[in-house]
Amino acid sequence: MLIQYLLLIAVGWFLVFFLRHHGTTRAAAGAKLCFVAFVAFSVYAVLRPDDISVLAHWLGVGRGTDLLVYGIAAGFACASINTFLRFKELEVRYAQLARAMALRDGTSGPLEESGDLGQHASDEA
Amino acid sequence: MAYDDTWLIVPVYNEGPVVEGLVRDALQTFPNIVCVDDGSQDESAECILRAGAHLVRHPVNLGQGAALQTGIEYARRQPGARYFVTFDADGQHQVVDVQRMLVRLRDGEVDIVVGTRFHDSTRHIPLTKRILLRTVVMLSPRLRMLDLTDAHNGLRAFNRTVADQMNITHNGMGHASEIIDMVRRHSWRIAEEPVTILYTEYSKAKGQSVVNGVNIVFESVLRSGSRR
Repeated sequence: MLIQYLLLIAVGWFLVFFLRHHGTTRAAAGAKLCFVAFVAFSVYAVLRPDDISVLAHWLGVGRGTDLLVYGIAAGFACASINTFLRFKELEVRYAQLARAMALRDGTSGPLEESGDLGQHASDEA
Repeated sequence: MAYDDTWLIVPVYNEGPVVEGLVRDALQTFPNIVCVDDGSQDESAECILRAGAHLVRHPVNLGQGAALQTGIEYARRQPGARYFVTFDADGQHQVVDVQRMLVRLRDGEVDIVVGTRFHDSTRHIPLTKRILLRTVVMLSPRLRMLDLTDAHNGLRAFNRTVADQMNITHNGMGHASEIIDMVRRHSWRIAEEPVTILYTEYSKAKGQSVVNGVNIVFESVLRSGSRR
């Protein structure tokens, strides 16, 4: 079926695109365009289900509903990858922030019996 | 041999019961030790300071990869630092192994020496661990290309060039594969040194689980896809 190849190629292309260009303006714009297209498609599918059925038929999918389900599955995969990458990016920044704090407060022992740890760290800084 | 130019980097996460003894022991040979307390909830930080090592504390737990990077950044700011060693806090690694690795580094033939536990008899390595580590090597073309036998050995020694270029972004356990990746990208000269890993009950309880292998593989695949 045509749709199977189209979907696999499209999803594969999207994944590679997002992985390679994540964080660039182009990828951000691409993601927004995809989202707009997805919403437009969904609205159209709600308003004119028969047209979607025709389109589905052309592509070799039985019903319009099936086409919609395929579309949602592909969209979900892309969204998941994007979220994953976004989290990774935040994790890196979070680590950099924590590292900067840690390095600023670095200290060396041995610990004085009287002073507590925080006090000792700021004394050294 | 004097080791004033060598820094031991020890990532620590809730290692209160063992870290003080380990640091005291290592300090007898290596005067410069920096422990990175990765947001421990126990008394690890106090133990480290009592033992007399340098202490850097993450305000929150980030993971071993992040702790290593912090330790490396701390050590490379220290005047006179030329050689760097990553050393686990759970008592698996031996000071004598580090000394042998440093001899090779000082010869100047290599930039980074990584420990391998796969030499002679491997019976002392727990079976599941042996299978897991072998599988990682089998699945990784990079490791085979570099002729490496042990992907996830925490014992590594490297020179200033490597330390300056080192930039670990995988906060968790994926850092081992990330380092191998950097070896290839920066064309560091790498060699393996047979080392002994002491599998005490303590270290076995704390070590990487097989389940973690799944996470490591998944992250490695995504990372190789996302290279620009």
